[in-house]
Amino acid sequence: MIIDINFVGLILASIMASAVPLILASCGELITERSGVLNLGVEGMMIIGAISGFALMTVTGSLIIAVFGAMLAGVLISTIFAFLTQTLITNHVATGLALTIFGIGISAMIGKNFVGIPGKEFPILFESLKDTIPILSPILFGHSIVFYFAFALPFITNYFLKKTKLGLIVRAVGDSPVSASNQGINVRLVRYMCILYGGAMCGLAGAYLSMIYTPQWIENMTGGRGWIALALVVFSTWNPIKILIGAMIFGGLTIIQFHMQAVGVRIPVQFLTALPYIVTIIVLVVISRDSRKIRLSTPSSLGKSFYKDN
Amino acid sequence: MNTNLKVSKITKIYPGCIANKNISLEFNSGKIYALLGENGAGKSTLVKILSGVIMPDEGEIFLNNKPLKLSSPIDAKKNNIGMVFQHFNLFETLSVFENLIIDSNETRDNLREKIKSIMDKYNFSIDLDIPVLNLSAGQKQKVEIIRCLIRNPEVLIMDEPTSVLTEQETSELFSSLKKFSEEGILIIYITHKLKEVMSICDEVAVMRKGELVSVSKIIDEKIETLANKMVGQNLKTIKKTKQSSFSSEQLIKITNLNFKSEDPFETNLSDINFSVNRGECLGIAGISGNGQSELFQVLSGEIISDKNSIEFNKTYIGDLNPQERREYLMAFSPEDRLEQAAIPQMKIFENVALNNFKSSNFFNNGLINEDKIKEHSKKIISDFNVNTDNIDLKSQFLSGGNLQKLIIGRELITSPDLLICFNPTWGLDVGAINYIHETLIKINEQNKSIILISTDTDELLKLSDKISVINKGKLSKTMNADEVTSEKLGILMGGGN
Repeated sequence: MIIDINFVGLILASIMASAVPLILASCGELITERSGVLNLGVEGMMIIGAISGFALMTVTGSLIIAVFGAMLAGVLISTIFAFLTQTLITNHVATGLALTIFGIGISAMIGKNFVGIPGKEFPILFESLKDTIPILSPILFGHSIVFYFAFALPFITNYFLKKTKLGLIVRAVGDSPVSASNQGINVRLVRYMCILYGGAMCGLAGAYLSMIYTPQWIENMTGGRGWIALALVVFSTWNPIKILIGAMIFGGLTIIQFHMQAVGVRIPVQFLTALPYIVTIIVLVVISRDSRKIRLSTPSSLGKSFYKDN
Repeated sequence: MNTNLKVSKITKIYPGCIANKNISLEFNSGKIYALLGENGAGKSTLVKILSGVIMPDEGEIFLNNKPLKLSSPIDAKKNNIGMVFQHFNLFETLSVFENLIIDSNETRDNLREKIKSIMDKYNFSIDLDIPVLNLSAGQKQKVEIIRCLIRNPEVLIMDEPTSVLTEQETSELFSSLKKFSEEGILIIYITHKLKEVMSICDEVAVMRKGELVSVSKIIDEKIETLANKMVGQNLKTIKKTKQSSFSSEQLIKITNLNFKSEDPFETNLSDINFSVNRGECLGIAGISGNGQSELFQVLSGEIISDKNSIEFNKTYIGDLNPQERREYLMAFSPEDRLEQAAIPQMKIFENVALNNFKSSNFFNNGLINEDKIKEHSKKIISDFNVNTDNIDLKSQFLSGGNLQKLIIGRELITSPDLLICFNPTWGLDVGAINYIHETLIKINEQNKSIILISTDTDELLKLSDKISVINKGKLSKTMNADEVTSEKLGILMGGGN
C-alpha cells in the first residue's frame, strides 16, 4: 500500500478542522470561568449559534450576517444566563443546565423549517497555495477565516489574561470578587462581559459546525461537543494553550477512530467511539498534574455567587 | 498640610441590629486615633462607611470641611482615604505586583519605581513577583499598606491590623505608623486590644453596641478604665491556680507525626513530637497559617495518619476517624464554629445529635430518637449557660458566644479525657471569653487534659501549664508556661530561637 504523502497532510488538516469548534467554545468558556462564573450552558449556546447561523444564511443569503448573527445569538442567550446568575443571583449550575436544555429545544423548534436545505459554500483563503508544499500546505492553506481565527485564539487568550490590564481584572475577579469589589472593580459588570463574550464564542463555534464543517442543519448537531469543550477547560486547568493540545488530541482521535472503523480494525466500535473522550482526559490530567500550578490558575470563586451587601 | 476628617451623626441600621447610632467624631492629622470596642460594637461598620464599602442610612462625612459622598471604594480612594482591612483584600493567586497595578493608572515601570522607593523609605522587603499566597501575614499587610501609600493618602485607616501579626511584626508596624503620622497622614486605628491603644495612640474613642461611649486623650486613661468603658461593666479577671505537681500519667503521646499536603495553601507538618499528661493543659502557640489547622485535623482524625504516631490512653489511634476517636473519650472543638463544628442550617438539637456515641442511643434501628436528643440538648443548654430556650432554633441564629458554649457543651457532656480546641474564643465578646476560660480551667481541675491550639498569646499564657510553639509546620520543644514570656513566644512564633 502506498501512502500518499499529501494524504497525511489532509488527515492532519481534517483533525484541525474538527478541533475548531472545541477551541472556540473552550476559549470562550475559559474567559467566563476565569471571572468566576461556571456556565454549563455551552452546549445550548453552541446549538443556538448553529441554527441561527444556518437560518440567517438561508434567509438573508449573506455569510457575514450569518456569522455575526450567530455570535449575537450566543450573546443574547448568554444574557439570559448573566441576568439570572448575576442580577437575580441564581445558582450557576442549575441555570447553566437549564440553558443547555432550553437551547437544544428552541434550536430544534426553529430548525424544523431548515432540515434538508443544502448549505452554502463558505469562502476559503489561500486556495491557490494549496499544492505548493507537501504535507504542510493542506494544513496551512485553504481554510475558512474562522479556522485561522480559532488557532490564533488560544494565544490571544493567553496574552489577554497574562499581559493586559483587562485580563488581570478578569483574573482578580475570579480570584476574589469581594476584594475586587472593595478595590472598586465592578464585579457584576466584569462577569456580565465575560459571560457575554463566552456566549459569542460558543455561537461562533456553533456557526462553524452548521455553516463550514458540515454545511447543513441537523437537529442536535453539536452532539455533545459543548460538554467536551467544558471538560477541556477544566482538565486544561484554565490554560488556553493546553486547551489547544486537548482539542487536537480529541479531534485527532475522533478522526482516526473513524478511519479505523472504516478499515475494519477488530476493536469494538463502542470502545473506539469512547476512545477520544478517555484519552483526552487522561492526557490533560497528566500534563496538568502540578497541584501548585492548579491552585494558582484555578479561579477560586468559580461557581460562587457574589452580591454586594449594602 | 493639615487634614481634618469629621463624621457627623452617622447612623446605620441592619435588620435586627443598630450597627451605628448617631456617631459623631472629629480627627486631625498628626495624631493617631484609636477606635476601640468589642466585636460587634460597630467599629467595622463605621470603618466600612469611611472607606465607601457601605453607605450610611443617615449622617454626613466631611474631609477638610467639605462634605464627602462615599458611594463606592473608588470615591474613598479618589479622596485619598486609604484603608487596610482586617481580612486582607488581596488576590491570593496573583503576584504582588499584579495586586498593586490592578487599581493603578501608572505604567509598569513607573509603578515599580514608586513601589521600590516606598519600600526603601520604610524598610519593607517583599519580592514583587511571587504570588501573594506565598507571603506571611505580616508581608501581606505590608502589601496592603504599600497599596495605600502609592496613592499618597491623607487618611489611613487600619482595621484590627495586629490580629495576624507576631510581636515583632507588631512593633515594626507601630514604628511605620508613627512615621506615617509624623509625615502628616491622619491615622485611625481600629482595635479591641487595650495594650495597643495605650502604646501607640494619642486619642481614643470607645464604642459599645453601636454607640459612641467616650472620646478622650490617652494620657487621661488607664487600661482598666478603658476596659470598663468598652465592656460596660466591671470586668473580673480570671486566673488559673496552677498546680504545683502533675500526675505523671501520660494521656496522649504523639511520636514522629508527619503530614504532607497536596494543597499548596496548606502547611506540611514535619516530625511532630509531644505528650500531654492527665490534668494538664498544653498550649500550642503560633501565627495563624503555620500548620495549626493541619495539626488539629490530624489530632481529631479528619486527616488520618500513621497508626502508631498517636498513642491515646495506651492505644494506638492514628488511623481512626473522629467518630471512633470520640469513643475513646477524645473531644474536639474546631476553629470555625459555623463551618466545621456545627451545621448552620440545622437546628440546635440536630447539631447535638451529630456528636453521636454508641452509648447515647440517639438512634433506634436507623430512626431518630428525637425525645432523647432533645432531652440531652436541654441538659447541655442549661449546664453550659447557652442563652436560649429554643432547641428548635437553627444554629446559625445563635451568637458566636452561645454557639461556642453549645459546641464545648456538646463535647464535654460525655466527660471526655481530652479536649482539643482550636481558637475557642476567637471573635467572642469578653463575657463569653471569660465563661469559656472558666470552663477550660474546670476541665483541668477535674484531672482531664486539654490541648489548646490558639493564636491568642494572652489566652495561652493564662490557661496553659505547658506551651509549645508551631512555626512552619514544626513544633518547638515543650516549655513550662511559667517560664515563658509573651516576648519569648513572639520570637519563637516568628521562627527565631
